[in-house]
Amino acid sequence: MLIWVSALHCEAKPVIDYYRLKKSHDHNAFDLYRGDDMLCIISGVGKIASAAACAWIAARFDHEASIAWINLGVAGSGQHAIGAAFSLNQVIDADSGQRHYPVPCAGSLLPGSACLTLSQPGEDYREDTLFDMEASGFMYSVLRFSSAELTQCIKIVSDNREHKTGINRQRVSDLIHQNIETIDQQANALIALNNEIAGLAITPESWQQLIALAHFSQTQKNRLRVLWRYLMNRDTSAETVLQKLRGCSSAATIISTLELLSYQDSEGL
Amino acid sequence: MVSSVYIESEIRDHPRARKLLERLRNLPVVEIEHYGEVFNPRAQNFRLQKKNPAIIIARKNDGHVLAAPEGYGLGGSHNYYFSHMLNCIYDCRYCFLQGMYQSAHQILFINYEDFGERIKQLAAKHQGEAVWFYSGYDCDSLANEPMTEFTGYFIPLVASIDNAWMELRTKSTQVRSMLKLQPCERVVTAFSFTDPVSHGKLEHGVPSIAKRVDAMRRLIDAGWSVGLRFDPVVYHQDYQAAFVNLLDEIFTTVDPQKLHSVSLGSFRLTRDHFRKVARLYPEEPLFAQKMDLDNGIVSYPLEREREMIEYCEAQLMKHIPHQSYHPCEWHD
Repeated sequence: MLIWVSALHCEAKPVIDYYRLKKSHDHNAFDLYRGDDMLCIISGVGKIASAAACAWIAARFDHEASIAWINLGVAGSGQHAIGAAFSLNQVIDADSGQRHYPVPCAGSLLPGSACLTLSQPGEDYREDTLFDMEASGFMYSVLRFSSAELTQCIKIVSDNREHKTGINRQRVSDLIHQNIETIDQQANALIALNNEIAGLAITPESWQQLIALAHFSQTQKNRLRVLWRYLMNRDTSAETVLQKLRGCSSAATIISTLELLSYQDSEGL
Repeated sequence: MVSSVYIESEIRDHPRARKLLERLRNLPVVEIEHYGEVFNPRAQNFRLQKKNPAIIIARKNDGHVLAAPEGYGLGGSHNYYFSHMLNCIYDCRYCFLQGMYQSAHQILFINYEDFGERIKQLAAKHQGEAVWFYSGYDCDSLANEPMTEFTGYFIPLVASIDNAWMELRTKSTQVRSMLKLQPCERVVTAFSFTDPVSHGKLEHGVPSIAKRVDAMRRLIDAGWSVGLRFDPVVYHQDYQAAFVNLLDEIFTTVDPQKLHSVSLGSFRLTRDHFRKVARLYPEEPLFAQKMDLDNGIVSYPLEREREMIEYCEAQLMKHIPHQSYHPCEWHD
């Protein structure tokens, strides 16, 4: 699953439109839009709001095998043109000095940039960093649930010394929309990485069927999980193995049967 | 493919760092205060990172040269190891480096002079006795040679210290820089091999056996000391025939009489490393094989291990003189 996190509706709108996400009426803590294996949450402005939204949505979807994240929004810049898009490679919290390092996707079309997250809107334009109000809160929160490789921050310059378009909502949407194809490529690369990790997980259905076959102690369940993960990642049919296991009389017999299957399968490397 | 470069701000103007940045000029560069900021956080996925690791250019501030673990080495009394890099460009599924660090990024330490000072001090401490310095414990000694220019500093250093010996452990073919140097008999380049089946399935990104054998030959022809490391020997249904094929391929080209040393040991990892790497690669057959836990080490059941080692030793002894053989002893 990929979760987009934006502070404002106008920042999320290009994504909502592009992926045809539908507003969810099941939740009310934050505005939420849903699509096929994709969510978009509107956090509100500021790093605390962003962190809260990420934690809330991660808790609601903790059954997901793996979650990838993109913080999409606008930023200020001392040197870049309005509409320029960046993938952040360093996020610095202006209050605490804490730094995070999101990992840009390999071959990303977006240039990298550092970003300073401020608690209050500011006009202290710096040459070497972007500045925003959410990225550090976003990173602080999502790194509890996912790895840095599955975490991206994409920022579009909306304000610089000459122009301030960040207060015009339609203009913000337009600036992000101008970059939507590149943003989509970035999202697809991230989805591919996330699918690789999610694909290694055991499906809840087959796991439930497996543990219903006998009473397993916690230690046995740990061993069972290792064996099941291996076999389910080796083109073994869950149904065929479960059929074989139904003849086993105890948890110990089930584990030794699975061990035997694993040993046989791994003989050839 | 390397994705990006992180560099500690403090060393940005160090000549070795500047040279590296020039070489890596097409990659995005991110300045950091200390390599631990990027290398140590828990929220990293080693498996994903290994696909496109970054290079971290850093200074090592302490622990430049450390005592080698018990049982490591070729039987000398004074064994130390040092790592000018952390992590490896290759992706060998059996390697303990997969479970060693949170990160798959490659750290290049550029303050060689600090390593050199410590090597001199330790050699002086054991004056009159051979002191071994092992490189290639936390990295491949030569794989990044065009970038690190490791041999250009450390080989002349070791050559200048009468009682210092150095082992370079490698799976690479990067010997060009060594061929430009004056050979030193106290520098042993040890090439690691697994049989062709294990190589094909477990050693991702490692040059072919034929190319590495050729690199060995070129070093021997130039007068360098060269060693062979069959470590780890990995079990599979055809391991016997595959090991014989490997020996044939090596000894068709390499004169066994010219080998400094040969060692052999079966696959083993500490329990923690084994668990970590098996979690990273749950689909990997190597970790689904029958293993036992012996004193904190996960390895093949004793009977299987004995059978493998005895068979491989017997085949090896058909080629090499007995005195050059050093078995890897790790059982208590």
